[in-house]
Amino acid sequence: MGPAPAGEQLRGATGEPEVMEPALEGTGKEGKKASSRKRTLAEPPAKGLLQPVKLSRAELYKEPTNEELNRLRETEILFHSSLLRLQVEELLKEVRLSEKKKDRIDAFLREVNQRVVRVPSVPETEEILQDKDGLNQRYFRKRALYLAHLAHHLAQDPLFGSVCFSYTNGCHLKPSLLLRPRGKDERLVTVRLHPCPPPDFFRPCRLLPTKNNVRSAWYRGQSPAGDGSPEPPTPRYNTWVLQDTVLESHLQLLSTILSSAQGLKDGVALLKVWLRQRELDKGQGGFTGFLVSMLVVFLVSTRKIHTTMSGYQVLRSVLQFLATTDLTVNGISLCLSSDPSLPALADFHQAFSVVFLDSSGHLNLCADVTASTYHQGWSLLWLQVQHEARLSMMLLDSRADDGFHLLLMTPKPMIRAFDHVLHLRPLSRLQAACHRLKLWPELQDNGGDYVSAALGPLTTLLEQGLGARLNLLAHSRPPVPEWDISQDPPKHKDSGTLTLGLLLRPEGLTSVLELGPEADQPEAAKFRQFWGSRSELRRFQDGAIREAVVWEAASMSQKRLIPHQVVTHLLALHADIPETCVHYVGGPLDALIQGLKETSSTGEEALVAAVRCYDDLSRLLWGLEGLPLTVSAVQGAHPVLRYTEVFPPTPVRPAFSFYETLRERSSLLPRLDKPCPAYVEPMTVVCHLEGSGQWPQDAEAVQRVRAAFQLRLAELLTQQHGLQCRATATHTDVLKDGFVFRIRVAYQREPQILKEVQSPEGMISLRDTAASLRLERDTRQLPLLTSALHGLQQQHPAFSGVARLAKRWVRAQLLGEGFADESLDLVAAALFLHPEPFTPPSSPQVGFLRFLFLVSTFDWKNNPLFVNLNNELTVEEQVEIRSGFLAARAQLPVMVIVTPQDRKNSVWTQDGPSAQILQQLVVLAAEALPMLEKQLMDPRGPGDIRTVFRPPLDIYDVLIRLSPRHIPRHRQAVDSPAASFCRGLLSQPGPSSLMLVLGYDPPQLYLTQLREAFGDLALFFYDQHGGEVIGVLWKPTSFQPQPFKASSTKGRMVMSRGGELVMVPNVEAILEDFAVLGEGLVQTVEARSERWTV
Amino acid sequence: MVARRRKCAARDPEDRIPSPLGYAAIPIKFSEKQQASHYLYVRAHGVRQGTKSTWPQKRTLFVLNVPPYCTEESLSRLLSTCGLVQSVELQEKPDLAESPKESRSKFFHPKPVPVAYVVFQKPSGVSAALALKGPLLVSTESHPVKSGIHKWISDYADSVPDPEALRVEVDTFMEAYDQKIAEEEAKAKEEEGVPDEEGWVKVTRRGRRPVLPRTEAASLRVLERERRKRSRKELLNFYAWQHRESKMEHLAQLRKKFEEDKQRIELLRAQRKFRPY
Repeated sequence: MGPAPAGEQLRGATGEPEVMEPALEGTGKEGKKASSRKRTLAEPPAKGLLQPVKLSRAELYKEPTNEELNRLRETEILFHSSLLRLQVEELLKEVRLSEKKKDRIDAFLREVNQRVVRVPSVPETEEILQDKDGLNQRYFRKRALYLAHLAHHLAQDPLFGSVCFSYTNGCHLKPSLLLRPRGKDERLVTVRLHPCPPPDFFRPCRLLPTKNNVRSAWYRGQSPAGDGSPEPPTPRYNTWVLQDTVLESHLQLLSTILSSAQGLKDGVALLKVWLRQRELDKGQGGFTGFLVSMLVVFLVSTRKIHTTMSGYQVLRSVLQFLATTDLTVNGISLCLSSDPSLPALADFHQAFSVVFLDSSGHLNLCADVTASTYHQGWSLLWLQVQHEARLSMMLLDSRADDGFHLLLMTPKPMIRAFDHVLHLRPLSRLQAACHRLKLWPELQDNGGDYVSAALGPLTTLLEQGLGARLNLLAHSRPPVPEWDISQDPPKHKDSGTLTLGLLLRPEGLTSVLELGPEADQPEAAKFRQFWGSRSELRRFQDGAIREAVVWEAASMSQKRLIPHQVVTHLLALHADIPETCVHYVGGPLDALIQGLKETSSTGEEALVAAVRCYDDLSRLLWGLEGLPLTVSAVQGAHPVLRYTEVFPPTPVRPAFSFYETLRERSSLLPRLDKPCPAYVEPMTVVCHLEGSGQWPQDAEAVQRVRAAFQLRLAELLTQQHGLQCRATATHTDVLKDGFVFRIRVAYQREPQILKEVQSPEGMISLRDTAASLRLERDTRQLPLLTSALHGLQQQHPAFSGVARLAKRWVRAQLLGEGFADESLDLVAAALFLHPEPFTPPSSPQVGFLRFLFLVSTFDWKNNPLFVNLNNELTVEEQVEIRSGFLAARAQLPVMVIVTPQDRKNSVWTQDGPSAQILQQLVVLAAEALPMLEKQLMDPRGPGDIRTVFRPPLDIYDVLIRLSPRHIPRHRQAVDSPAASFCRGLLSQPGPSSLMLVLGYDPPQLYLTQLREAFGDLALFFYDQHGGEVIGVLWKPTSFQPQPFKASSTKGRMVMSRGGELVMVPNVEAILEDFAVLGEGLVQTVEARSERWTV
Repeated sequence: MVARRRKCAARDPEDRIPSPLGYAAIPIKFSEKQQASHYLYVRAHGVRQGTKSTWPQKRTLFVLNVPPYCTEESLSRLLSTCGLVQSVELQEKPDLAESPKESRSKFFHPKPVPVAYVVFQKPSGVSAALALKGPLLVSTESHPVKSGIHKWISDYADSVPDPEALRVEVDTFMEAYDQKIAEEEAKAKEEEGVPDEEGWVKVTRRGRRPVLPRTEAASLRVLERERRKRSRKELLNFYAWQHRESKMEHLAQLRKKFEEDKQRIELLRAQRKFRPY
């Protein structure tokens, strides 16, 4: 929900005395007063941790007062729940203007009014404006001159801190004057001056969307065309003029309707927050707060909203309306009169895609929402608004517990909401595009604003080309500029960058083919014209000869980037926008999960190959003859088998000369004189054997029987399938097609046998023991999780990339040891199963950004993270789990992840992270997220994308630098080394008669030894993916001098301090031990701080 | 425990290395190359009156703070200068009894390790050890101790399993186990239905008529069944007072929820979570 306050220990709050709040006294209108009083009475809950509420019986069961009942009923009717009501009230308190500020603003407004009236030598509007000023921008130019005159005088007034120009709604023909007071209120208020003509100055019938008011002859500077072609209508231009004439009446309408009820005002405030969080009101032609207020007015007039409704209900009704009504087909109107002289809705639909007429019946309020005029029948922004409204309605209907936060408090910046983003820069290229697309009428209508004119046709082009790959296309235009009155106004080309966001459709991404019509169809020509040289005639397997476009993409990651190819091709072909102007941001992060050899794939293919090999093996196991018991299940239990291994295994074949051989056990051994051999991690597979009376009922004996099965399994696999095997007491390693699997035989009842405890009376009861929990986790829960996530990958192809990027980042920050592989996989899964308020990610990039956002904002102290795999948990169950969580908070790990299979214990976070490590991760994520987003949103290119993956090293007390020669995964490092060592593999995989060196990773062995020897004195941090440095942090608590104790002498020495003999860590000797233990591997041990000199 | 006597100790006038009372400190280093040294804190093993210890009195040296690279063999070699060493055992924690060796199988239990009990053949060894000045060198030219890459490679080689040895171990264990089970069964069969001297007959799982197993789960199941049977007979919301009570219960739930919600809001407000942007 939000970042936990930093630097607080999670478990520290258990012993705090409970704060008892006076029970339910705030009722009805007293509520606000009472709660503010309470804030001083009751302290915030101890250390930011929720406590289970305890009310005495007397308080719970006292007779209710009438007021209390009323409030309860009101909550039930007007809001979803009491929590939502309280949340909405709090939010409104934050966004509402305080009375004090309102007074200050009013005072300033009065001052401004006086000043404006007193500006000398202002002629009356009648004197300035003349008949026919509506033509050829005459009105706008006079308006601008008038404003400049005002600005000139007002700028000299000491009342104003700043006086500058801006554009009204981004329309460059209509400047407005921004006035800010001098002094401390400068940030508080900005007054915008809009000059308006007298209400009845222009005749509305001249400004209908079908009329022309900018003559071609004037605009293009040519004499009227002799061909007698009609002048093109200028609906946009007409709208701009009309907007000025009706401005005042709109304001009056809004204030009369909205001031009638508090609920409406609250609703509008909530809607504005909703829009702002989604960036829908941003930039030129946004879906502004004004529009949404008018929509509320419309819904009031159609009785869909009633004045007694609460703010929340207003919000809900408007969202419902937006989600279900398509204004591009059925426009709406505030106009009640049935005057036949009024223009018909159909006229407006022809000129604008989105139609919402004002009360005069002449003005389309949504004219600016339409990116292009009368060119196409749809609007990007409208589609986006509808999309967001639908998502929000789904969220509200799902009754999610934190719906309020997701709906109103979670920002959705473009880079985090859209799978891919593309920047068009410089914008001056669009001028050429306008000419290429023959958009002269649009330019004439837009007064030369080529960005607005080109936007619609360009996005239509892209939408058409991306077709099935695309879910939603959105654009984000830079904010409307402000400039000082002494400067020239900014040009269109200065307005920065046009950014488009692509929400991809994963099903569409798998195809490399655009199938066109059959060659002899008339549409074929159109298809050829659309795709240009990319279109070719192809003969298909069913015999059809069709036009088709085939994109080059071999791997999943390349297929994900086909939109890039489409976009650059179409823009170059149809709009003359060269590739250099299109900055497509879709895959810069892919480099971090790319395999070592192939740079064209992000590993999905390699994972599929490994999983396929596993499938073959499991078939072999099922069909094995000669096992005394039959196999009842074969289940994968390794990250590879759920597609989340950062670097997937590749089939290997050893070069024997690189190794020592142990012939009698047909195994290879690492050699002292060679660099460390390649790291091969066996993939764990759990093989359940059927239950039978033959199994012994004693834990030790079961172990032996399992060992016998392991041996037998190895024998049979070798005999029947010629596989190279090696059995130990707990597993059998099998080499198959260059992959190594580790088969663990499991007996279903074994955990239960480990749990059995016999009481003195002979009663057998089951008690969890460390061994039984571990066994249960490894043989039951891990396979379940693996198969569930395997399924998730089939549903969401981007899951693998997101989970692997996330894990890669955590490990690169040297924090990998604190987090179990499974826990991070589950966090990544949560992004797909609970994407609200977003949609599930379809690219690793956006998924990774949301991972960082989740990690940096989730309040782990007070919330479990639900990962509702297969949607098995019902809403009621989740409520129950949550209350159970609060009651048992102190006993649970710092990070709690709830899945349908694991509702209480959070198995995967039991062994870590500790509160400090988690806090460190939160801090790092909070730093990385804005940095990475800024890089990706930078239209000049993201720069060095690896920056956020490099760990900060200055926080460590000691750095142990390792020699790359003995780091087997050296090439996986974030900054991949230019050269590394040969690791004893042949480039062509093939069968091997000797078992490979398995799981031999000197840095890991070294770390294990370090932690064993000095674990209570220091923490060790390392990136297992080719890290060259181990960071060591001394534990401050163990550096406190302690009295002598036989049980804690490890690594310490006795010193005399002030006559007392105390134990302190023997740091000099320990530092030398670091080097001794890692002889050959350790290059240097750098002590960087003197913190231990206690 | 052994060490919990008096923590404050006087400094030995001859010895310059400070050590706690009753202990002698012996510097120990990995090899010549190291500058700083660790200190072994050693004393003669002794226990308070009345506690039992299997370590031989007087001949046993109790060693604390054994460095991580120091093995049983090297410790034995280092202390053999003081007298013949009978055995060395490294342990995780101070322990009064010798660990039961026979149950430790190298296949099924990994080896544990920073206190050591060194048993000398003669008591003189202990006193000689207490007077050692050091510094002791764990790894010397003549007796190099493997560390780092050397150690890991040889550990890896050792970890490559020998299937034959494993098979033999499994077979012997299972043979013994089967025998034990067979004996138990035979005994149970013998006792089946035979009353003891007071006339009680022991009912077992293997009897002719199976009985409910004596497990917690089974008894819970029975209780649950009883409870369900009883609840079926009960009337709900039948009497006016029941109706009133259930309404009150609902209200109480709402109140409780309201309190919980207020607490959450309070917390979020404290964290300034209601600022939308």
